Amino acid sequence: MALWGSGLPGPEAEGARSSHDAPRRRPFKSGPGLRRQRPRQKMAGPGRQERTADLLQSETVEAPAVTPALAVGRSGPAAFSSSQGSGCRSVSVVFPGSVTQQGCCRFACELLKHVLYQRHQLPLPYEQLACFYRRALPRQPQDGDAVKKKPHTTDSGSSRKGQQVLKELEGVFWHLEALFNLTLVPRILILLGGNAMSPKELYEINLEGISVGNAEESLQTPSCVRKIFHSLFLSDVFSELQVVPVMGTIVMVQGHRDCGIDWFRPKLNYKVPMRGRKLTVNLSCGGNGSAGASSQQGVTSAWDNYIWFQAPVTVKGFHE
Amino acid sequence: MDEAAGDLKQALPNVCDSVQIHVEVHQKSNSTTKKEDIRLSVLKLLNRHNIVFGDYTWTEFDDGFLNNNVQSVSIVDTELKLKERQPINLSKCNLSIHIFHLNDEGPSSENLEEENEDIVAANHWVLPTVEFHGLWESLVYDSEVKSHLLDYVMTTLLFSDKNVDSNLISWNRVVLLHGPPGTGKTSLCKALAQKLAIRLSYRYRYGQLIEINSHSLFSKWFSESGKLVTKMFQKIQEFIDDKDALVFVLIDEVESLTAARSAFRAGTEPSDAIRVVNAVLTQIDQIKRYPNVVILTTSNITEKIDMAFVDRADIKQYIGPPSAAAVFRIYFSCLEELMKRQIIYPRQQLLTLRELEMIGYVENNVSRLSLVLKDIAWKSEGLSGRVLRKLPFLAHALYIQCPSVTMATFLQALSLVVDKQFEERMKLADCS
Repeated sequence: MALWGSGLPGPEAEGARSSHDAPRRRPFKSGPGLRRQRPRQKMAGPGRQERTADLLQSETVEAPAVTPALAVGRSGPAAFSSSQGSGCRSVSVVFPGSVTQQGCCRFACELLKHVLYQRHQLPLPYEQLACFYRRALPRQPQDGDAVKKKPHTTDSGSSRKGQQVLKELEGVFWHLEALFNLTLVPRILILLGGNAMSPKELYEINLEGISVGNAEESLQTPSCVRKIFHSLFLSDVFSELQVVPVMGTIVMVQGHRDCGIDWFRPKLNYKVPMRGRKLTVNLSCGGNGSAGASSQQGVTSAWDNYIWFQAPVTVKGFHE
Repeated sequence: MDEAAGDLKQALPNVCDSVQIHVEVHQKSNSTTKKEDIRLSVLKLLNRHNIVFGDYTWTEFDDGFLNNNVQSVSIVDTELKLKERQPINLSKCNLSIHIFHLNDEGPSSENLEEENEDIVAANHWVLPTVEFHGLWESLVYDSEVKSHLLDYVMTTLLFSDKNVDSNLISWNRVVLLHGPPGTGKTSLCKALAQKLAIRLSYRYRYGQLIEINSHSLFSKWFSESGKLVTKMFQKIQEFIDDKDALVFVLIDEVESLTAARSAFRAGTEPSDAIRVVNAVLTQIDQIKRYPNVVILTTSNITEKIDMAFVDRADIKQYIGPPSAAAVFRIYFSCLEELMKRQIIYPRQQLLTLRELEMIGYVENNVSRLSLVLKDIAWKSEGLSGRVLRKLPFLAHALYIQCPSVTMATFLQALSLVVDKQFEERMKLADCS
């Protein structure tokens, strides 16, 4: 089983820059030449190596669950596997304890943001876009880089599109949170292109193996998020994909039939499509940590009462 | 052999059996209730009201459960099976209840990636969709076009299910609708797809309608067009591979893809076009062996179509302009809509053609307006469905222009606009 992508960075890349939220705010680039270089990304040439170093740096510092051996990347970690099917891959992440329901929602949102950026539906990572378009969010870009000079505001057409996309995404995030508060969510689908029944690309987040706990006994959400992105990065799932045009993105969520959410549209006949490229992110809780946590496995008997809901917006990607 | 024949005989609908009545239940878009629960409640409802006269739709229910979960319960297409309007005893009939959700997304586009251009080669709907809701009912034909088409697809599926040897009995899953423009060929294809997606929801989770943009399959590169056609059908193949989907391929103006190859001998057509025809024909032969696909095609100019394609079409249905009786029904439905929206006010009860016939076309207070409408319908004969459907709009725009109008005034305006339509036609004919 070939676990590593072609361009695995060496451990000796300088790790001076500390960027704690690197996986969220600045998703690592998938490979040179795959995406247009942006002014924001100061390090021009082998930026990927540097950013990797960032990531590994923060990972080793903040998430002790990841062993240094993993960070070095010379031996296969047990935390994930990637099956090498033609258009079908999977990444598994096992948390060493239970997580909160809000945490699960956060995973879904972060993965959605990540997929949108990596698959060229957003010109910049979500957080940065939000930063540009909402001046209300007064986050100063680090390193004094040139992002602010970018002509976002002058190009009103693309600006409007950007605002629209952000508004839609915000809505999706907000309603996802509401849904997660109402019901257990065993699975989430992010569907790119085509329609819900036959997307071009399919990203599945499987939470069936998650043990949900309360805030005190659960793992810290940020460290779990980092762990997810770390595994995603190591399995190098986005680099071999081709550049795609802007498409619509559909979000499907599985929830309990009677959870009472009204924003999402129930799709009783829905079945996870077989067509298209598929990436499954399996999140589960292992270890001995969660004795008191309610495992989702417990409700398997009532699994057929979990139906698919579709977010009533199709997030249309945009380019600058 | 004999066994198979016996099987078939049993499986084919027996005319002597009790009548098959289709009940379509439109589940509310936010309802998450199980279909079985809805089915039970609908059966209870139908038990309470077990005599109906023709098609009927309930939209309000005394049952709270149905009110919460169901938009409408409709008994549909009784006129396709029963020639006479007669009371139907539902308890004696064979009821098939179809429960469906409508998809509210619009069409998505299906692209073919060429080196550096992206061609939108097809539009693509997931059925049943909001967009085509009510389309079937709005199409009025005299002959049994609709029931023929439905029965055709049913037989197709039956033969596939029973594994009829396609070397012995061959059928191609191709329907060709032809006739003058504006007669609803394309609409009928879409409506048929929607109808079948609902009718067959018990065995296919959903339907897919793929409308091919014929013109986009012609490449600017010589000899590439045939390849584009092949690519397009490869995409379609992917849809067909999903056994849970019923796939409809709609090729509008099919003559552009299947122009008669005999014309090429004259040298007026480039040989690239021949490759397109060949590609289409071979691809159709390829996909016809899959049970879950139907190819719907329309054409205005049948004589231009290649004979090899015409042969492949199982049903070649001519769709002509509506007869006077059909015109009457079209106007009738238009006026009903305008009364519902209170543009025609107050509401007037119009009599159907059959009711007029029963009273022997005698003029009285009840029948006066309906008789006026009948006269308008009779003089409108020869206009196409597309024109007819816009006449009420034109009547309002040209002769009325106020938010609410009586039926009598509206009918006058309608009559004037019909005359005007024929005048315009004459003028156009004079010019040419």
